[in-house]
Amino acid sequence: MTIKKLILRNWRNFQTVEVELEQRVFVAGPNASGKSNLLDVFAFLRDIAKAGGGLQKAVSERGGLSKLRCLAARRYPDVEVEVHVADNGTTWSYAIGIKQETRGYRLPLLAYERVMKGDETILTRPNDEDKADPLRLSQTHLEQINANAKFRDLVRFFESISYLHLVPQLLRHPEAFSGPGVPGDPFGKSFLEKVARTPEATRRSRLGRIEAALRIAVPQLKELKHTKDEAGIPHLEAVYEHWRPHGARQREDQFSDGTLRLLGLLWSLLEGDSLLLLEEPELSLNAGIVRKLPGLMYRLQRQKRRQIIISTHSPDLLSDPGIGGEEVLLLTPSNEGTHVALASSLSDVRDLLEGGLTIAEAALPKTVPPSVGQLDLFE
Amino acid sequence: MNGPIPINIAVEDALTESLLFKLLNTLPNLYAPRTIYNRGGNGYLRRNVNGFNLAARGTPFLIGTDLDRYECPPRLIEDWLLQPKHHNLLLRVAVRQAEAWVLADKENFAAFLGIRPSMIREDVESIQDAKRELIQLAARSRRRVLREDICPPLHSTRRVGPNYNARLAAFIQQLWDPNAARQRAASLSRTIDRLLAFRPTWLRAGGT
Repeated sequence: MTIKKLILRNWRNFQTVEVELEQRVFVAGPNASGKSNLLDVFAFLRDIAKAGGGLQKAVSERGGLSKLRCLAARRYPDVEVEVHVADNGTTWSYAIGIKQETRGYRLPLLAYERVMKGDETILTRPNDEDKADPLRLSQTHLEQINANAKFRDLVRFFESISYLHLVPQLLRHPEAFSGPGVPGDPFGKSFLEKVARTPEATRRSRLGRIEAALRIAVPQLKELKHTKDEAGIPHLEAVYEHWRPHGARQREDQFSDGTLRLLGLLWSLLEGDSLLLLEEPELSLNAGIVRKLPGLMYRLQRQKRRQIIISTHSPDLLSDPGIGGEEVLLLTPSNEGTHVALASSLSDVRDLLEGGLTIAEAALPKTVPPSVGQLDLFE
Repeated sequence: MNGPIPINIAVEDALTESLLFKLLNTLPNLYAPRTIYNRGGNGYLRRNVNGFNLAARGTPFLIGTDLDRYECPPRLIEDWLLQPKHHNLLLRVAVRQAEAWVLADKENFAAFLGIRPSMIREDVESIQDAKRELIQLAARSRRRVLREDICPPLHSTRRVGPNYNARLAAFIQQLWDPNAARQRAASLSRTIDRLLAFRPTWLRAGGT
């Protein structure tokens, strides 16, 4: 399944958004323009749909509706999310509007919820039952098994969306960051447990492929494998070749930041076939490796037909001539919220691409804040 | 077309960017700078100039480069452009380097460095390596912080000091006077005249 279109209203930085999405999407914009918040829309749908999730939890985990609502929202305060999903010739659409209860607990309530399959309306709320019992509007049908049978495929798709922003320090020293952890483990704190839970054969084949790719970046590394220590705690181990004939065994706490990030990135690319959200995959990686990432992602996604949405600041990542303007979303902040446009929809970017510039050269300069020269005066 | 003319800027280095930006800002309400294309180096600019020429039909482009080894600006333009230059492409060449435009405002620059104005040459456009000249002048500055910022340390591989760009950018933003500088730099004077006279042609309604 692939998300073909995203429509937002008053979501975080964005007052209105309506964009078409490709199989691979690169999100570029200045700092604090809302790249992560744009990715978070999909994680939000996942959090509603997943087991133990739901609308109330998804909203309260994000600090309540007042934090979700765009600061530029004025007369029309509802937060709205709509996605169009293509699945082997069928087009689904899911749309919700969320408002806040005006009194009492000030719960987030559904202004509406709609599911379409092709031209057929599968669900439209509020319905008569909702009118008879308004508290029903505090839950979506997406989160209810006995109400979503007709669009279960869509629910499954949302549930399996994954988000990755691996923080090497968390993976290396999980004991130093106690507490319940973040739902979905986006930062890789329990990455090793996830590897340990994977069936043996799958794990071995994945680690084998990852090792082959890792060796290009870190030529001295070999025999990447999964082990358990005396206390039963899972680890990743590899032989690091040096002048001694047998090299040295090293565990993940000795791996470099770049090695760990590349490892996590490759693992998540190989895992699952649903939408994958990647946050700045270029971090800690050598520019030469970063330039190879788009091609690598394409090859790995082609086998699984999965969609990947990537936020990035990296000119190296976007210098791949195989990236099209229709794959790049440019975010431009303004007083009325951040504006989102496909790079290919801007005539000057199209002309520059036609003139032989790479997407990095043609589009990234548009994401530099206009007052950046002021930094020269900063002492 | 009423109101300021939207214009994109493409340059090969931070110094040229500061100079062009200052120029556009000193012209009263004539231009609204949009995007700055500066990914470093003469090679970048030269490789992409034909793309900028194409995109100029939508939004005017102001390109700033150094003459360096070419004998004259028309030779450089002829060499760089594959297609005829679009009317909206303003390709301006500093003779021989952007640093010459900085030195051309000798009173302000001498005051900034704390040296005598007479130490700066009058014929800035005939200096072969204006960057080196500027650094040698800065080395004689009475202010140590400027010497350390602008001049490369002895035995270093770098050509400029660690804070060269930001120091000169601050000078250009705050003190540099284009009208004084144009008296000694003909290429700057021509650039200002061109910017004052330029009216874009709009192929697409409303541009971008």
